[in-house]
Amino acid sequence: MRVQDDHLALRATGLVKRFGDRRVVDGIDLAVPTGAVYGVLGPNGAGKTTTLRMLLGIIEPDEGTRTLLGHALPRDASDRVGYLPEERGLYPGMKAREAIAFMGALRGLDWSTGRKRAATMLEQAGLGHAVDSKIRKLSKGMAQFVQLLGSVVHQPDFLVLDEPFSGLDPVNQERLEALIRGERDRGATILFSTHVMAHAERLCDRLCVIAHGKRRFEGTVDDARALLPMKAHYVPHHPAPGIAGLLPAGAQEDRGGWRFTLPPEGIEGILVRLIDAGYGISGLSIERPGLHDAFVRIVGEAAREQAA
Amino acid sequence: MSSTRKLIRQTLTIARRDFIATVMTPMFLLFLLAPLLFAGFGAMGSLGAMTVGQGTEGKEKLYAIVSVEDAARLRAADTLIRPAISRERGLPPLVTIAPAGDPAAQARALLSDPDIDVPAVLYGPLDRPQLIHANPVSTTARYMAALAEQAVRDRRAGLGAAPLSQPTFTRVERDSTSLGGKSAAATFAVVSLFVVTLMLAGQAVGTMAEERSNKVIEVLAAAVPLESVFLGKLIGMFGVAVLFLAFWVAVGINITALLPPDFATAMSGIAPALGFPAFALLYILYFTLAYMLLGSVFLTVGAQATTPREIQMLSLPITIFQMAMFGFALAAVGRPGSWVATAAELFPFSSPFAMAGHAATSADIWPHIAALAWQLLWVAITISVGARLFRRGVLQSAGPKWRWFKRG
Repeated sequence: MRVQDDHLALRATGLVKRFGDRRVVDGIDLAVPTGAVYGVLGPNGAGKTTTLRMLLGIIEPDEGTRTLLGHALPRDASDRVGYLPEERGLYPGMKAREAIAFMGALRGLDWSTGRKRAATMLEQAGLGHAVDSKIRKLSKGMAQFVQLLGSVVHQPDFLVLDEPFSGLDPVNQERLEALIRGERDRGATILFSTHVMAHAERLCDRLCVIAHGKRRFEGTVDDARALLPMKAHYVPHHPAPGIAGLLPAGAQEDRGGWRFTLPPEGIEGILVRLIDAGYGISGLSIERPGLHDAFVRIVGEAAREQAA
Repeated sequence: MSSTRKLIRQTLTIARRDFIATVMTPMFLLFLLAPLLFAGFGAMGSLGAMTVGQGTEGKEKLYAIVSVEDAARLRAADTLIRPAISRERGLPPLVTIAPAGDPAAQARALLSDPDIDVPAVLYGPLDRPQLIHANPVSTTARYMAALAEQAVRDRRAGLGAAPLSQPTFTRVERDSTSLGGKSAAATFAVVSLFVVTLMLAGQAVGTMAEERSNKVIEVLAAAVPLESVFLGKLIGMFGVAVLFLAFWVAVGINITALLPPDFATAMSGIAPALGFPAFALLYILYFTLAYMLLGSVFLTVGAQATTPREIQMLSLPITIFQMAMFGFALAAVGRPGSWVATAAELFPFSSPFAMAGHAATSADIWPHIAALAWQLLWVAITISVGARLFRRGVLQSAGPKWRWFKRG
């Protein structure tokens, strides 16, 4: 069945998955815009992989619905989807070129085109020497990259990558980031899970944070950062006792100065008071919270909620 | 692309991968040549048996302790009756010796002689012959009694050794298939189908283990319905089986030309009721379905195993299951038209074997059309159940509610 929702590549509503008595995924909603790079973030065991497997139709949700590329059954869109699972798996006896072509053939690409594209892609990824090498002869990182190429060889409209950066060295992580950007530029929608914030911060147009099976946040990277107030680090020109009384509550001494959270009305009023009192300004920096801080806070709140 | 075409394409992609991965390995050569091991062991066994046979050959004799006149009559009777007695190894030669002293003691001494093998000894007058023998039931002793009877009849009738009649033997081809020929064809069909299925369908049990151990199953399950994965694997392994059979059939055809004429004469007795072309076609179809049915059961069971040890342990119940189906089908062939035959023909997993036997004994075509459709349905059911069990047990998902069938 085809469902019209043109601006969304994926919509999931109220996904629930139980393993025994445990609700591993507990009512997750997702809306992934067409052409976006969308991150699914969460700590280990949050339910990210189970969510992705439900979105792809590998397992069926106990409750909820999902629409992938306009299809109510994800399987109906399988030829337009690419997938790199968290647990990497290739046939060890296959040659790299054949492995990529096989993964393409599963998604409807004919073998000869798959083989040609595989050779080109391996060349472009700096693995031209491994075109006819068997998978068992490749390093773990190289094999992982071969599988990644296999997931995009048929030029999918929707690409799902489950923890794609794990197990890759920094050089290959850089290559993978370039590949993801390339796929986005080609017009593909990309959904990837990670618990490494740096990649999400650099790549994601939108993201959601999952913890304890529930969606705890959804928005842009900036939206996530905005959950935390900005911090200031102030170094007085004439340090003297009594300065703490002019700073917001909770200010702490740090590296020869003071660190404090900016109040909602801004920093101007504080600076005026400090200058009028004769402390002067030797240094001032405004620090924007990172995605990492936002993630820690969101997940921390989820843990407290769960404990309660 | 329609969903059916898509399913076929996905299934064949899996089948192609499995076929190539199996055939393009050195292990396949070992698999292909495995029957040579059977033949080798068989030849060794035959050679041993022949050696033992040759060791005793010429040492087994029948003794008659009788007068010269009775000896001549006994030999004449032996010449007359011996060709009519059919025995695989033939009767031991008859040796007549004259009585010396106590014939009873002489006979016992012969029976106990360690250097010769004497199954029976006759002594005394031919109208009251005494026969001693070592075995509890001795056909050779009865044969010698028959010789004595014939000799006495000849003496009383005053007949000499010359035959009184001159028979003419003419072999005539039957217009219709004999009951024995049909029965032989049915037994041949069931046994040969069982042997090839036993050798080949069992291979399916471990095929999902590769995907599970290499974690490729996640890639497959995301791209292809599990039903296609299961069916593709079955078709791939069936391709391997067909290649195996094609090779050995080609070898067999060439070897047949070298076999003695007696073999061809013996084979000519095998005559299916449907005639050879239709029987051969049905045989191929029933082999395909027997493979698919048993293979899908083994694939389903094997897919639930998590370790090679578990797969190894499954081989015993699998062999027992196959033997049970074979026994069931063989019983059906022995009693065509009985309730056992009907049950074996209806029970899906014995049906291909029993129906192959049915093709040899009955000329009706319609039961085969119904049986093939019935078996095909069960292949689909078994694969679907296998995929659902795998989805539930291994992927931990309840799975779509029979959507595969509904959409197909």
